[in-house]
Amino acid sequence: MSSSVSRPYYPDYLAETPTKHHFSPYADNGGSIVAIAGDDYVVIAGDTRLSAGFQIYTRQQNKLFPLTKTTVLGCAGCWCDTLTLTRLLNTRMQMYEQEHNKTMSTPAAAQMLSTVLYYKRFFPYYISNMLVGLDDEGKGCVYSYDPIGHCEKAKYRAGGSAGALLQPLLDNQVGLKNMQNVQVESIPLDRALSILKDVFISAAERDIYTGDAIYINIVTKDGIKSDSFPLRKD
Amino acid sequence: MFLTRSEYDRGVNTFSPEGRLFQVEYAIEAIKLGSTAIGIRTKEGVVLAVEKRITSPLMEPTTVEKIVEVDKHIGCVVSGLMADSRTMVDRARVECQNHWFVYNERMSVESCAQAVSNLAIQFGDSDDDGAAMSRPFGVAILFAGIDEKGPQLYHMDPSGTFVEFDAKAIGSGSEGAQQSLQEMYHSSMTLVEATTAALTILKQVMEEKLNSTNVEVMTMTPKDLYHMFAKEQVEESLKNVAPLEQSRGDNIPRTESVPQAKTSE
Repeated sequence: MSSSVSRPYYPDYLAETPTKHHFSPYADNGGSIVAIAGDDYVVIAGDTRLSAGFQIYTRQQNKLFPLTKTTVLGCAGCWCDTLTLTRLLNTRMQMYEQEHNKTMSTPAAAQMLSTVLYYKRFFPYYISNMLVGLDDEGKGCVYSYDPIGHCEKAKYRAGGSAGALLQPLLDNQVGLKNMQNVQVESIPLDRALSILKDVFISAAERDIYTGDAIYINIVTKDGIKSDSFPLRKD
Repeated sequence: MFLTRSEYDRGVNTFSPEGRLFQVEYAIEAIKLGSTAIGIRTKEGVVLAVEKRITSPLMEPTTVEKIVEVDKHIGCVVSGLMADSRTMVDRARVECQNHWFVYNERMSVESCAQAVSNLAIQFGDSDDDGAAMSRPFGVAILFAGIDEKGPQLYHMDPSGTFVEFDAKAIGSGSEGAQQSLQEMYHSSMTLVEATTAALTILKQVMEEKLNSTNVEVMTMTPKDLYHMFAKEQVEESLKNVAPLEQSRGDNIPRTESVPQAKTSE
């Protein structure tokens, strides 16, 4: 790493050169999350690659965190922040349960996550969060967040390193955007699952931070079912 | 109780050898000087009714506020030291708003009572600020609210103990009123019946003659939530109240005698 600007060499004065120290508190460990909600279910999937630049830390990291029997959180971004945030959320879930004698609903957990993130407005958790679950009527819902707590409720969403790559694909396949003579209606679970797998195959094709495999959580009134699906590993 | 009075009733944190906290017990006694308040929970909603002591004809009756809104879905009536009650109601309001802020949902009535209870038992606590409460609150509260469990009625006393009730009376006439509630309450009561029952019982235990200026009535229903009766609505409800049976009214025990106030027409 030699500088292109040539300077005269004065060995006696070396110690006087100002030394710049730099510490970056954040790391981007990549990863993508996709969620699709239906009338009585919601599916969320996250890839299992954990990476830093051109290095891969692991090919089998689960990025989905069930908070209750009907709520799952998906996290992509800085892994150490994810570890801390999910531990904090789990304690908050337990405290709520003990204080109020009930399990936190998905909309309540969604609002709590927003406030938890905003409380670190000036040193944020560097995470793309996606919270899914069933609402009070049993309908599937997806909440997506920016790192400082802006929250948006949606029917489908892609986030993480391939988020910008996949969202237009979902808009086309799930949202049926910009099409004429189409009936936009909620899609059945098997269709959602096949779209989910297809978009991750596409992401693994182009995004080096997404790949290896995906873990899938299917949330219905009967609980959370887990599944996995392999992706290309290069 | 007063016979056993000793050194142990000085400090608020000192147990007597029999294991009692006298200051807390005295605070509970203080409630029995307060004006009578009644709460009845029905399937349709909750009704709160309370007497207002108008001690002077020159007093403005509307400034005596004993039923207050905590949140849209929780209201409460207080009896005892009104100044103390303001602090507790303030805490209840803050906790409800905080719960909404963090969870975007209505706080349950039980959680609200729990939050106020946490404040009520802080007497004797002192921290580095030196801001310690010197005595228990001299207040009893009835919380009426609607939450996911439906209409709810909770009673809390100065010890911070809170219990769910179908019907509860607090204040000076509470002993007689509670007896009457036990006779009149049934689980299939309508809200109108409950309102009439509450006012009838109030009429029995009140020193003064019951009228639309010396009583406050509030209903809490799933549709309208907190609803304070206007003067006209109170008058409407008073029409359903049967006139006092002479014998009945005289049998109600009175724990306290307040000088009869001359109410203006």
